Amino acid sequence: MEPAVRIASLAKDHAGERALRGISLDIPDPCLFGIIGADGAGKSTLMNILATLTDADSGSVRALGRDLAEEFPAIRKDIGYMPQRFSLYQDLSVGENLDFFADIFGISGKAKADRMDHLLAFAGLQTFKNRRAGLLSGGMKQKLALACTLIHHPKLLLLDEPTVGVDPVARRDFWSMLKSLRADGITLVVSTPYMDEASLCDSLVLLHEGGILAQGPPAQLVAAYPFDLFRVEASPEARVTTLNYPGSQEPPPGFALVYPSGGSLHAAESLTASRRDGAAVTAEATSEIPGVQSEDRFRRLRSAIPQAHTVTRIEPALEDCFFALLSGRMRMGPKLPPDPAPAEAPPGGES
Amino acid sequence: MIARGRLISIARKEMRHIFRDWQTLVVVLVMPVMMMFLYGYALNADAKEIPVLIEMPSPDPETRAVADKIDASQLFAVRGVVATAADPAELFKLHNIKALIRFPPGFARDLRRPGGTRVQVLIDGSDPNLGTIIRNAAEPLLLGATLQVLGVEQPKVLDLRTLVLYNPEQSSALFFVPGLMAVILLMISALLTSVAIAREKELGTMGQLLVSPLRPLEIIVGKIIPYVFLAAVDGLLIMTVGRLAFGVKIAGNPWLLATCSLVYIFTALSIGLLISTLVKRQQHAMFAALGATMMPTVLLSGFIFPVASMPLQLQIVSHLIPATYFLEIVRGIILKGVGIHELWRPLLILSFEGMLLMAIAIRKFKVKL
Repeated sequence: MEPAVRIASLAKDHAGERALRGISLDIPDPCLFGIIGADGAGKSTLMNILATLTDADSGSVRALGRDLAEEFPAIRKDIGYMPQRFSLYQDLSVGENLDFFADIFGISGKAKADRMDHLLAFAGLQTFKNRRAGLLSGGMKQKLALACTLIHHPKLLLLDEPTVGVDPVARRDFWSMLKSLRADGITLVVSTPYMDEASLCDSLVLLHEGGILAQGPPAQLVAAYPFDLFRVEASPEARVTTLNYPGSQEPPPGFALVYPSGGSLHAAESLTASRRDGAAVTAEATSEIPGVQSEDRFRRLRSAIPQAHTVTRIEPALEDCFFALLSGRMRMGPKLPPDPAPAEAPPGGES
Repeated sequence: MIARGRLISIARKEMRHIFRDWQTLVVVLVMPVMMMFLYGYALNADAKEIPVLIEMPSPDPETRAVADKIDASQLFAVRGVVATAADPAELFKLHNIKALIRFPPGFARDLRRPGGTRVQVLIDGSDPNLGTIIRNAAEPLLLGATLQVLGVEQPKVLDLRTLVLYNPEQSSALFFVPGLMAVILLMISALLTSVAIAREKELGTMGQLLVSPLRPLEIIVGKIIPYVFLAAVDGLLIMTVGRLAFGVKIAGNPWLLATCSLVYIFTALSIGLLISTLVKRQQHAMFAALGATMMPTVLLSGFIFPVASMPLQLQIVSHLIPATYFLEIVRGIILKGVGIHELWRPLLILSFEGMLLMAIAIRKFKVKL
């Protein structure tokens, strides 16, 4: 079966810069697909191309069995697109917004009434039907925007950073809505800067400077993490319990990366070169650390981080994978040749 | 090519925007009336009771009689009489007068001498219009008054009889009502349309409209329908206020005026549309629309300054402006009462301009961002 979206050697310049440098990607059908990456990595450019709002400079995209460049008027009927900014009419009510989008997609009569009722219930907005969209909370605005993009039963839903600026509870609600749409068989492509959201996706692609740094299901990415990871915490009695490690400072000997994470530091210890290289390296699952080596680690960490109090071995999360990937010290994918020399990227101290 | 349902849904949405935004409503309904009253009073060129001072060193009966005649005229109001004006500039400042009329000593005596006498009139030239009026009026007034005092009949050589056609009372309302029609219809149509489309771009909703089965033509036509309606309402409003407050009657066929106005509105909308395809922000749209419509219309269409007295380059520009042709039509219908027979040429040019601009705007309207 053809994937929902097949992207081949897609390139696009944006404002004189290379926004996408020839990426190729398959998005299976159905799937909750995440696009992650820093600002300027090319997420929005890719989204705009998929939404048929921007033309690529080269390469091709097939979506839902059609060529995007040639058949965009037909494809637009099957796509739901939610732009980065809230883009509904703030001076219209919740019901009027839905009504308008139903009209322009040619949905009328009973079908429209049923669809609107269903979507209002789905978004939990029944009691707000007559409220102006501009007066809704950030989370509710996004739910309304999602409801409006669903009005015409799209087969492919494109959501560009839908939860930026939304409170955590509303974000969780929003993602459970996305999960239920996925269960209904819709393919969703979501870009997000949040790692907790990325881990909810079926599959991910990490964009960096217009290229693909890694792709695959979250579990597979985590499994490929090549380092032993430690959490370094300050003493709970210390005056300042939040540890920081300047990005300009080299990691301690034997460590590949040290970066702040939720008040403590994460320190990734390099393993042997043979384990670091190559595709799909699985991290050693041992939590037992031989005593001598362990003391050695403590000593090296302590001399670099004077406030270090407790060091605990932890399992890497998706976020740790991305720090490793972005630092250039973790490589993914069979297409990339293993890097013989360790890259001299600075430790990912900034987030 | 156009689905009626989608067209109606866009027009209805646009109407909702308009009726929920009181600022737009003020611009549409209050501003035209306000402009009419402002122009109605500001453009009143009939000067009356201009304050003047008289210097009269020898207050003999003849000099007084001439001074009384000056005061009796509608044009001048004598604020006072001084014996000597050592510092005329000081008098201008002190008494806030526009002119100082200085009779010489022995005015009455010299009057009857062969060489005659001299009267000096000092004029405040800071308002050139008023200065010209005083200068033109002073000599005949003084001469007439003096001859009357002397009991001399003015010899009749030439009897000039002028008859003003089309606006016999020279009422300024008949002059500014057609002009305001041209300005306001253009502004409402061009400004509001361009801002309405730029707003969708600025808010990001244009992306949503484009990623839908809507065709560009449906978006464009759907969005401009409400503004055609609003502009038509404004046209009626201007004619009603003109009739009730300023006594302007339509000499010709009102239906012809309405039809021509719709053609003009169409042309104005295409200007607004063209602007909106070129800009991305509401503010840019506003400045572009004001620059492209208000200024040329007020200054170059013949509304205030006659086209014939402009330098050639500006005359060429003037003949590119839709308002120039619309003014010709409106003045023709309201003042002269002429019909389509006399007006087909400006009407044709207006329609052609509208269609050309609309075609360019639709071509330039981007289906993608």
